[in-house]
Amino acid sequence: MSASILELQDVNKVYRPMRREPVHAVRDFSLTVNRGEIVALLGSSGCGKTSVLRMIAGFEEVSAGAIRLGGRDIHGLAPAKRGVAMAFEGYSLYPPLTLKENIAIALKSQGIGREQYEAKVRTIAQLLEIEDILGRYPSSVSAGQQQRVSLGRALIREAALHLLDEPMGQLEPQLRAVLRGRIKHFIKEQRLTAILVTHDQTEANALADRIAVMEEGRLQQFDTPEEIKARPANLFTGTFIGEPPMNTLNATARLEDNLLKFHLEEDVVLGYPEDAFATGLRDRLLELEQVTIGVRPHAVKLGEQGVSAKVYANQWLGDQSHVAMHFAGSNLISVSHEHVPVVTGATVDIAFPVAELHLFDSRNGTALSHGGDPVEVPPVT
Amino acid sequence: MSVTAGLSVTSLSKSFKDLQVLDKVTFDVPKSETLVLFGPSGAGKTVLLRCIAGAVDADSGTVQIDGDDVTQVPPESRGVGMAFQNFALFPHMNAFENIASPLRAQRQPRLSLAETVDSVARLLKIDHVLDHAPRELSNGQKQRTALARALAAEPGLLLLDDPLRNVDAKLRFEMRLELPRLLADRQATVVYVTQDYKEAMALGDRIAVLDQGRIVQIGSAAAIYRRPANITIAKLFGDPVINLLEVVPEREKQAISVQVSNQQIMLPHAADDVIGRPCMLGIRPEDIAITAPDVPAAVPVSIEAETPLNEKIVSLAITQRGRELLASRPADVASPSAGAAGFLFNGDGVMLFDRESERRIDMQSDSGKKTA
Amino acid sequence: MQHQSVLENWLRGIALALIVLFFMFPIFWILLMSLQTNETILRSPPSMVFSPTLSNYQAIFAGRLDSNAASLDIRFLGNLWNSIILSVGSVGVALLFGVPAAYAFARYKFRGSEDIAFTLLSFRFAPPLLVLLPLTSYFQTLGIADTYFGLIWVYQLICLPLILWIVRGYFEDIPADVEHAYRIAGHGWFATFRNIALPLARPGIAAAGLLAFIFAWNNFIFALVLASADKQPVTVGALAFVTASGIQYGQIAAAVVLSIAPTLALALYAQRYLVEGLSLGAVKG
Repeated sequence: MSASILELQDVNKVYRPMRREPVHAVRDFSLTVNRGEIVALLGSSGCGKTSVLRMIAGFEEVSAGAIRLGGRDIHGLAPAKRGVAMAFEGYSLYPPLTLKENIAIALKSQGIGREQYEAKVRTIAQLLEIEDILGRYPSSVSAGQQQRVSLGRALIREAALHLLDEPMGQLEPQLRAVLRGRIKHFIKEQRLTAILVTHDQTEANALADRIAVMEEGRLQQFDTPEEIKARPANLFTGTFIGEPPMNTLNATARLEDNLLKFHLEEDVVLGYPEDAFATGLRDRLLELEQVTIGVRPHAVKLGEQGVSAKVYANQWLGDQSHVAMHFAGSNLISVSHEHVPVVTGATVDIAFPVAELHLFDSRNGTALSHGGDPVEVPPVT
Repeated sequence: MSVTAGLSVTSLSKSFKDLQVLDKVTFDVPKSETLVLFGPSGAGKTVLLRCIAGAVDADSGTVQIDGDDVTQVPPESRGVGMAFQNFALFPHMNAFENIASPLRAQRQPRLSLAETVDSVARLLKIDHVLDHAPRELSNGQKQRTALARALAAEPGLLLLDDPLRNVDAKLRFEMRLELPRLLADRQATVVYVTQDYKEAMALGDRIAVLDQGRIVQIGSAAAIYRRPANITIAKLFGDPVINLLEVVPEREKQAISVQVSNQQIMLPHAADDVIGRPCMLGIRPEDIAITAPDVPAAVPVSIEAETPLNEKIVSLAITQRGRELLASRPADVASPSAGAAGFLFNGDGVMLFDRESERRIDMQSDSGKKTA
Repeated sequence: MQHQSVLENWLRGIALALIVLFFMFPIFWILLMSLQTNETILRSPPSMVFSPTLSNYQAIFAGRLDSNAASLDIRFLGNLWNSIILSVGSVGVALLFGVPAAYAFARYKFRGSEDIAFTLLSFRFAPPLLVLLPLTSYFQTLGIADTYFGLIWVYQLICLPLILWIVRGYFEDIPADVEHAYRIAGHGWFATFRNIALPLARPGIAAAGLLAFIFAWNNFIFALVLASADKQPVTVGALAFVTASGIQYGQIAAAVVLSIAPTLALALYAQRYLVEGLSLGAVKG
């Protein structure tokens, strides 16, 4: 048996509004989801992630390409025949039914016994902390509670695939952290396969086994959260993933005095021993000349000898400090887990160790190296 | 009071039908200070801000701006600037006209009006979209336009209603770092509403915590984070949420201690009157260090799950008595052990709350301790 | 893929044409009738083939109706003029009072505001004839029976509730914060009403105005009872075509075409604002 359960092959979606230019919302999108896996479709609004989800569910037609679920083509089927469960972003609860009836609506048609029915609903209600409001109607509970019910209605179903559209956007922040863990545990325990659409990377990181990062209708990178963080395929993924976002500096690479030097704006130069970079990579950098340097805020270490920057904000958030600086014509952010005693207006020393550098081709944003190691496989463009 | 206060709110109350939204709210904001109104949704923050602006009439109480009682003054004469959570841009006017609207009300001559709009637009980096209608602007540009409109007439009092709520994470982060400088340059008195505790800590000279229409604590970010007035506030600040354990302090030799699982935790600064009282022990996840299971004074636990949270790793562990505990550490610190481990509590981070009233019990070291 | 969508467009076009034909058929038929003489209209079986004539229109413009039995003076153009005065006048008055009232009901919740708003709506519930009998005697006492003023006043029973309730909904849809923002920016309440609320509710005002105009234009019973010959609108004036010697179908059809024309023109004009209202959409930012 094959491990993959869902396959999207070169899926395209073109919207043709009347009297306006067609919109190519999803372009050549291919993705394989394994049985029992949680995959997050992550991107900002308008990136095409919701279109992909709606095509899998059957609410949108596929303009070109194929979608297979469990080895069978489903892109021509009606939504009800696809064997897919979905939690909607707008909840879509049935107003005349109680929350309990809303959750159990799919069980009715399965014809299961009274006891099993009660047990299932109870499990889901406990999981989502809605036991005490089950008898109420959708209009009388908060948005967060409605969203939990909507999630419960999807999770209670037995389906080959569960689609969750922004399932936690409205939840109370305190509850969100707890529910993330519980829902992930539940999905794994029940061996469900789930696709989650979200714009919140914290949610994607916490829930998903693999993340598909989307932008402008294209898949930018599809990998584990750790891998995306450590080795972003391009500048977009690099700056999109990570909170706070990765610092970027435009540089010109030159070989001078046996040092590989990156010339930044305002005559700031970062120099590294020639052999800090693999030979092939070094040649590539010198050939390209225009590169973009990416450094994660957590990797910018203050107080280490190197270059200097001017502080314009220092904010302490209880368990971490965010220091913002002007450096070489850009804004640079440093995050540390201790309280940093620098004041606004001060000049501080900073260093950029080779191991923390991400280098990108300035022309198209393609990743060249991470921490001095060249990128071997050409990434998706 | 009116001499120092840029804004002074006294005993402000407001009800909608039977629902009391504001209950005798009183606070002062000295000139040029930024006060953050923080609280969960439904706490009354938005209504309070509208009462200050004059868009909503309070049932009782007074609002003073720069010493003048403006309670009966209509909003257009209060001289405040306000930015809204949903931006509230005028959809039928372009960005320029939106920003110019407070200047038009002052009947500024055309030339200086255009100059003022240009300079504030440049400051907020939206000078290239001034001729765009609101629907043609990105969310970030809308937010900056709304902010520019609030700033344009250089009001002495600036009311910002969760202005970063509806912009994406990246922009929110940039603005959070940029705003203090912007506000400091203008020397405006600012009331800033948010329900994001990080934003509150980053932006507020002081934070006022609002809960169910009442101000439950006012203080610096450090004071509220380290010395929250009650359990509710302790839970509102910090991510992941603070650990809370039921304990009863007892006398252990010369000192007072509490029992967590099978480990005694010393409370060197606790007063004698806590002995025997039902309490809650609070400890923030970052104040717990993970050690080997056999380290003295560490609570033995078994680690159930480790999940990433931004640049931190959150460990969910269960004590031998079946209690859940969360610990967090920077992502680049390796886990010293998996499965069986010890949780070592940082003594300075331990808080004690009365279980019945949920109020924090002051421990002597707090008063002498320097705030961060 | 491309081929399919072209075929789809064709089929959709044909389906739409059929639907339009079905609903527009009476109007289309009347247009044809207006170009025929009574004889060709009444022949059996009916036929689409005839030689068009403008004699019906000529008769209406000339003000003389000639039939084979007798000739009769008609004042159809006068009726048309009356219709315009009455409809424009009553919609104008209704907008003048209804729009500010709608704003007040939408924005200022005072004691009994819902009751007053509902009472105004309930004017539409009363059977017109029941209202008319007492009104007639009142109007005669006051000396405003058979005046434009009196008629426009009575027409408010039709126009005012309509405008009040439609426009109120549009005002309520404008986020209160947008108006708050304008006031905090330093503008008084009237400036806010004029510069923010009115422009944003314009599509609603256009829709309500158009509807009220159509209702006023089509009104029959008020005018029948309260207006004498020289104040009659087209709806009542059309009765003149029913003569002792028969019904003048051709002229009626021509009169109908002429009386549809102003409303149709207005609807086409107002459509621009209605569509604009839809595309303005994201008022909420």
